[in-house]
Amino acid sequence: MRRLVRWELLLLVILAVTIVINSAMSPMFLTIGNQINLFQLSIEKIIVALMMTLVIINGEIDLSVASMMGLAACAFGWLFQLGVPAGVAIPMVLALGLLGGAFNAFWITVIGMPSLVVTLAMLIGFRGMARILVEDRGITGFPEWFNALGQQPILGPLPLALLVFAVLFVILLVVLHRSGFGRKVYVIGNSAEVARYSGVAVPRVKALLFIASGFVASLAGLLYTARVSAVRGDVALGFELDIITMVLLGGVSIFGGKGTLWGVLLSILIVLNLRNGMALANITGHLQTGVIGLLLILSVLVPNLVQSARLSFRPGSAAR
Amino acid sequence: MPEPVLAPPVLTLAGVAKSFALTAALADVSLELMPGEIHALVGENGAGKSTLIKIMTGVHQPDEGTIRLAGTAVTITDTQAAQRLGIAAIYQEPMVFPDLDVAENIFISHRDQGLLMDWRRLHEAASSQIARLGVTLDVRRAASGLTLAEQQTVEIARAISLDVKVLIMDEPTASLSAHEVARLMAIARTLKDQGVAVLYITHRLEEVFELADRVTVLRDGRHISTRPITEVTPDALVRDMVGRAVDHFVPKAAAGPHGELVLRVRGLAREGVFTGVGFDLHAGEVLCFSGLVGSRRTDIGLALFGIQPATTGTIELDGRAVLIESPEAAMRHGIAYVSEDRRKLGLAMALPITANISLASLRRLLGKLGLIDRRAELAMAEKHKERLNIRTHSVALEVGKLSGGNQQKVMLAKWLETEPRLLIFDEPTRGIDVGAKTEVHAIINDLAAQGVAIIVISSDLPEVMALADRVLVMREGRQMGIFAIEDATPEGIMSLATGERPADAA
Amino acid sequence: MTGWLQSVHPQTLRVTALALVLALVILFFGSQIDNYYTARMFNRISTSVAIILLIAIGQALVVITRNIDLSVGSIVGFTAYLVGDLLVAQPDLHPLVVVAAAMALGTALGAVNGLLVAYGRVPAIIVTLGTLALYRTLLVEYSDARSITTANLPKWVVELPQATLFSIGNLDIRVTFAIALGVALVVHLALTRLRAARRLYAVGSNPDAAAIAGINAERVVFTAFLLSGALAGLAGFVFLARFGNITVVAGLGFELKSVAAVVVGGVNIFGGSGTVIGVVLGTTLVDVIDNSLTRWALVSEFWRDALLGMLILIAVAADTLMNRYLDRLRRRRHMSELSAGTAPLPRETG
Repeated sequence: MRRLVRWELLLLVILAVTIVINSAMSPMFLTIGNQINLFQLSIEKIIVALMMTLVIINGEIDLSVASMMGLAACAFGWLFQLGVPAGVAIPMVLALGLLGGAFNAFWITVIGMPSLVVTLAMLIGFRGMARILVEDRGITGFPEWFNALGQQPILGPLPLALLVFAVLFVILLVVLHRSGFGRKVYVIGNSAEVARYSGVAVPRVKALLFIASGFVASLAGLLYTARVSAVRGDVALGFELDIITMVLLGGVSIFGGKGTLWGVLLSILIVLNLRNGMALANITGHLQTGVIGLLLILSVLVPNLVQSARLSFRPGSAAR
Repeated sequence: MPEPVLAPPVLTLAGVAKSFALTAALADVSLELMPGEIHALVGENGAGKSTLIKIMTGVHQPDEGTIRLAGTAVTITDTQAAQRLGIAAIYQEPMVFPDLDVAENIFISHRDQGLLMDWRRLHEAASSQIARLGVTLDVRRAASGLTLAEQQTVEIARAISLDVKVLIMDEPTASLSAHEVARLMAIARTLKDQGVAVLYITHRLEEVFELADRVTVLRDGRHISTRPITEVTPDALVRDMVGRAVDHFVPKAAAGPHGELVLRVRGLAREGVFTGVGFDLHAGEVLCFSGLVGSRRTDIGLALFGIQPATTGTIELDGRAVLIESPEAAMRHGIAYVSEDRRKLGLAMALPITANISLASLRRLLGKLGLIDRRAELAMAEKHKERLNIRTHSVALEVGKLSGGNQQKVMLAKWLETEPRLLIFDEPTRGIDVGAKTEVHAIINDLAAQGVAIIVISSDLPEVMALADRVLVMREGRQMGIFAIEDATPEGIMSLATGERPADAA
Repeated sequence: MTGWLQSVHPQTLRVTALALVLALVILFFGSQIDNYYTARMFNRISTSVAIILLIAIGQALVVITRNIDLSVGSIVGFTAYLVGDLLVAQPDLHPLVVVAAAMALGTALGAVNGLLVAYGRVPAIIVTLGTLALYRTLLVEYSDARSITTANLPKWVVELPQATLFSIGNLDIRVTFAIALGVALVVHLALTRLRAARRLYAVGSNPDAAAIAGINAERVVFTAFLLSGALAGLAGFVFLARFGNITVVAGLGFELKSVAAVVVGGVNIFGGSGTVIGVVLGTTLVDVIDNSLTRWALVSEFWRDALLGMLILIAVAADTLMNRYLDRLRRRRHMSELSAGTAPLPRETG
């Protein structure tokens, strides 16, 4: 626990430094408008990152989320083209998200395959389904009210997606850190066998997480569609990288069992501010992606190096 | 019987001592292994056998004492070095490469064989190594398709292909069938004839007397005796193993009348694991499962707790037949199982004490909306900290940072909190210090006094004598006998468990 | 009755099943598509297999050691572009120098992955997911939004994909295809004959046992990533020759295709087993499906990714279930021995 607190302190310092540098570069940086805008540009990713936090703490991974976002967007566009009213299409797409998550869960919990392989396959699979639906078309012309959901503030200056993020954060915070279910998530991530020997229904917890992950991804896909008012086959392509980076940078262990949503929130803020700062400094979006990739590696490498350094300085202790 | 051996010992350990933290695992142990002898090493659990093996194979370094190989003092830095010196070990769980074939498994650590694989030569060489052991095995088969016994054979072949002078066999027969045991013993004899010194660690006295030339007894980390097998009787050996602890056996005061019948088990079996298990257990009664490692005592516990459900037989709780197919079901029936493996199966090491204690009874802490009542959880942990005397400055501490004895108490607390009617302890005091051991025993007696029905699975005879009202002895998956503690002696239990005496002699 | 199943090496079982599936798929498409069995179809598939096969072989080497390399697509794009740039600047370079440069570049990028995974102890999935982005970024930065075009490349490069080594009737064996097959043959021989290469299997099969056997696992894993990088570099060169026009998206998605080919080809995703023959069959299967779908009237080519995903799932699930089944057979054999042989042992008491 203490190690985690220290990691989060480090994140806080990094965040403060980023904010100070950014504010020095642009006086506009700290305005509410810019901060909301900053959230708005990556809002779908960070929504999915919240759910991913639980999945990774549980000792699993879901690489298919970005493709599910794409599939949800494309399914919505396809339904809309078929003449299904947007109001009806939305619940259908959300149901599709649940179904996709359940599909992943089946292979993982019933067949017993590793989630890495299953969701890697569905990273391709869901994307493929999205392409079957829209092929190489672009779909636009959604109703005004739908696009407005993605673009107009609905509560004070806050747009819907930001509210969804806030609500989801609070819900997951309570679920993960306060509820019995959240406790089981941690225990399974720590050791699935200990959980089983303590009477925890391990497959059920895992299945629920993957189903929820599919659902949240489809919701994020819809929000994205509303925000950009258009659908194409490559919606959210490659987003999984950013999402997983944010989670791991937040101090969540890739091996499960460790990490908090607060840490992930901090790392989300860092990543957003970093991106914004880089944009202010005229650094291209592609270079930003590279920096995120580097961050991802460092977020695991640095603790590893620190740990092995600490071990080798402690005389008499075993190397592993 | 072997002539007095004139050749110098191949391996000599003199005055070897090793401590971990503050406990001495080995003190002043000396051992001589002669070429061409099978030397049995026996002793109860915790006698220091594994530590001795680890020192000989370079896993641990001795604190004191010397190791001589053919007269020359050596330092064994790691397993690699041990292999180079001609010392190899095989264990219960073989270390093979499942995807490689038998031949490659045998020769994997040979270095000086040129750049290219010569499969034909490899297979021929492997076949001849296998043949040297006097067994038949297709060397082209993948190791993943072999039985445990066959994998062991592969490991032995690997060892002798490296020209080992000393082969350590650490309870190699624990999970083998009688047929496979016979084959393994034949292999050991073949090696002996080829001049290898075999150190054979076992719990089964019958194997000692069938196989060994000499036998060494360890107890409490000390060397007790080394004698030619011709000069020792099974009874003497058992006495050496159990030792002066015999004096300390305080058989429980003849138990008063117990409460109602809680558990009735009849004809319980799990296909190929154990069979023919049946007993009654009353409220407030302590039943101990005794037997050697691999006698399938734990598997009965796992069946009662639903981890590995029984395939036939009946389990009745309070007179009603129940089906226990998962731990959840077992817990609903008020059964708790305190595992022997704290690290892997018992505790979530990175989580705080509080979370571990509440884990099995989370449901009772949940308020509306399924949220954990943290104040109640804290109170729960504090209560057990007081009651079980868990030594920690805070119950928010990670369990992994506690000592073994305190971890054991946390695990106990987790299950006490479920308020079980039937509590199964698997090796409740393994690897904890004497003080904590006494405390755990007191807790168990206390629970029994409160009317909990208790099963204790233990390899520790003094523990069995101190705790049990009745003892059930297992051997190779079969129930050998069940009797009241007044009628039991440590020697009697041991000979039943080792098969030294037939079941009807109990 | 089921005893024969256990005497066959699981790998043989996989390859046989795969060959069968491939034959069935080809027969199926042959019945669905007119003029399916033509030289044109063969040439088309063989040229596209050439590139994927090179990457998939490298991927297989990594997967055999219990790791994964998701950065290969970016390495392909990176080398294709940089080598193209080099050729534009120095058109007179000897072909062998060019190929060597491509492989050296790929090796360097693979070395970064290998260092981080083997010595930095960062899980391969994290490292290569990171370098997947990082290498692509470096490419984008380097290219500065310019493209390599066929017009600027030397003639021999542009003509390489059409160059034919020899023909069997109408079937052309193209040089690039021959290169890929050559590499497959070399790696196949190495994996089965070269003593050092067997360590890849040992490390992936049982890392603990490998350590006891004195195998330096770090170096083995590092080498696997180096080779994967080198082969991706070579694939980058072939990619350049085949397409000529190289933009910053070159090679995008190859990482998943290669993982698919490898997994479908029977390389165990948990490491320890896999053959080049399987990878060749897997790659061919994936590519045949890919190329045939574009000609199949019933479904559109857009189905290919969805089918690819399902193919991976089914391949791994079949493997998981088969292993579990074999394991159960083995345990049952052990149990029956256990319950059969309970006769008391002869015993001598002193």
